[in-house]
Amino acid sequence: MANFEDLKEEARKLLREGKIKYLIGYGTGGNGWQAIPVFIKTPEDVEKLVWDPTCVHNLARFLVDEKRRKARQKQPDKRPVGVVVKGCDSRAIVVLLQEKFIDRQDIYVLGVSCEKAGVIDDHKLARKLGGKKPKKIELAADRFLITTADGKVEFPVEELLAERCLECQANFPVLYDILAGEKTRKAVDKPFGSVEKIEALGQEERWRFWKEQLDKCIRCYACRSVCPMCYCDECVVDSINLAVTADTTAEEKAHKVKWIQRSAESSENFVYHLVRAIHLAGRCIDCGECERACPLDIPLRFLNKKLEKEAKELFGYEVGFDPAQPPLISSFKDDDPGDFIR
Amino acid sequence: MAEEFEPKIVAFLCKWCSSAGSDMAGVSRMEYPPNVIPIQVMCSGSVSPLYIFTAFNKGADGVLVSGCHPGDCHYIKGNYYARRRIYFVKKLLEFIGLEPERFQMSWVSAAEGTKYTQVIKDFVKELKPLGPQAKLRRNP
Repeated sequence: MANFEDLKEEARKLLREGKIKYLIGYGTGGNGWQAIPVFIKTPEDVEKLVWDPTCVHNLARFLVDEKRRKARQKQPDKRPVGVVVKGCDSRAIVVLLQEKFIDRQDIYVLGVSCEKAGVIDDHKLARKLGGKKPKKIELAADRFLITTADGKVEFPVEELLAERCLECQANFPVLYDILAGEKTRKAVDKPFGSVEKIEALGQEERWRFWKEQLDKCIRCYACRSVCPMCYCDECVVDSINLAVTADTTAEEKAHKVKWIQRSAESSENFVYHLVRAIHLAGRCIDCGECERACPLDIPLRFLNKKLEKEAKELFGYEVGFDPAQPPLISSFKDDDPGDFIR
Repeated sequence: MAEEFEPKIVAFLCKWCSSAGSDMAGVSRMEYPPNVIPIQVMCSGSVSPLYIFTAFNKGADGVLVSGCHPGDCHYIKGNYYARRRIYFVKKLLEFIGLEPERFQMSWVSAAEGTKYTQVIKDFVKELKPLGPQAKLRRNP
C-alpha cells in the first residue's frame, strides 16, 4: 500500500521526466497550519506538498480553469496536468468526464484516501479552540491532535469533521492513477441525516428557515466561482449575451429577457439559489465548497443534498461513481415515477 | 361583500397536445375558469425550470406544465425528460416551503378538452383557499 511519501516520489518522477505539465496539490498556507492550493512545476518544489485534515479545497475546479486556458492558447502544451484528489474531488472529476468536459488523458490523478476521517470544519475548530490559534493539525487514529501555543489538545474526530464528511459514504478516490492510503468504506447510519432534519419541519417552518438563510445572500457568487460543476461560459444570472453597442436602442435593451435581477433581494435570491440547485441536480458531489466559500454561512449544501437524496431514492442514481453512466437529467426510464402528474 | 380571490395560473402547454387540448375545450364551448394564462411551448421537455421559478417570481399563484401522454410525444421522448426534471423542481419547491399544490403537471392530449377543463377546475379550486402566492413573488 502506498502512502503519501510514495505519492510525492511519483510526483517528483513525473515532473523530472516531463510527463506532466504541472501538479495541483495542497501546500501550507501563510498562517502556517491551513492548507492552500499550490501549483508545482519543478521536482524540487514537490517538497511543498502536504496532506492533512485542513486540505478542504476541491482542486477539480482548477481543471476547469486549465481547460479554458488551453482553449485560448495557440499551441497548447498537450501534456496532462497532475491533480491531488480526495474522495469527493475524484467524484467531481468523474462527473466532468461523464459530461465529456475534460478528457481522461489530460489529467493524471494522484488520489489520497481520507481513511475513516475527512477534513475539518473551520468554524467548528474555531469554536472548540475559543480564540486560540492552532499551529498544526494531525490525525491520530480516531482523534485530531491540535498543537496550539499553549500545548496540545485532542478532540474526537466526529467533533471537528465537516458535516459532509460525517455523511460521506465513499471517503476514497473512485478514480486515480496512484492512490495513497487504504480504500475503506465507512458505515454511515444516516447519509442524509441533516436534510431529513429540515424535511421533518413543517412547511411554514421550512419556509421561515430558508427565508432567513437566503435573505442574507449578498449575491457575491462565491458559491458559483468555487464550484467545479458551474462551468458554463455564460451564467443565466449575468445577462451578457446582448451586445450593447452605440446604436442599441433603449427598446432593444428593455426587451432583453431578464430572468433574474441582480439585486440581492429575497425573491431574487430564491430564484438564483433554486436555479443553481436544479442545475446541480445529479451533478453535485457534495464537496461542500459552496458552503465553505459563502461569506454569510448559508447552508447551501442542503439544497443540493436534498436533490441528491431524491435522485438516489427514486431513480437509484448515485453521483460520481461511473464515468460511463448517462447524466441524470439527460436520461430517463420508461417506468420513472409519474404519480404526481394528473 | 369582499371580492373572492381569483388565482392567476401560468400554464405552459405543449404545442402538439395540451395546447391543442385547450383549443379543443375552446371550440367545443366548454366552460372553465378564466384564471389561466396559457403559454404555448414546443414541448413540455423544453420548459426550463427557470421558466417556472420566474413565473412564480413575477406573480403567478400557480404554475401548470402540461404535455403529451407518455409515448405520445411529438419529439418521441421530450415528455419523459420533462417528467424527471419537473419532479426535481416539485421536490425542491416543497423543500423550501412552497405549498405543493401551487405547482402541478398534467398530461393532456389534443382530444382531451374535457380533461383540460377538469385539470383547470381542480387547480383553481385548490388554489383558492391558499390565497395569493407571496413567497417567491418579487417585491413591487
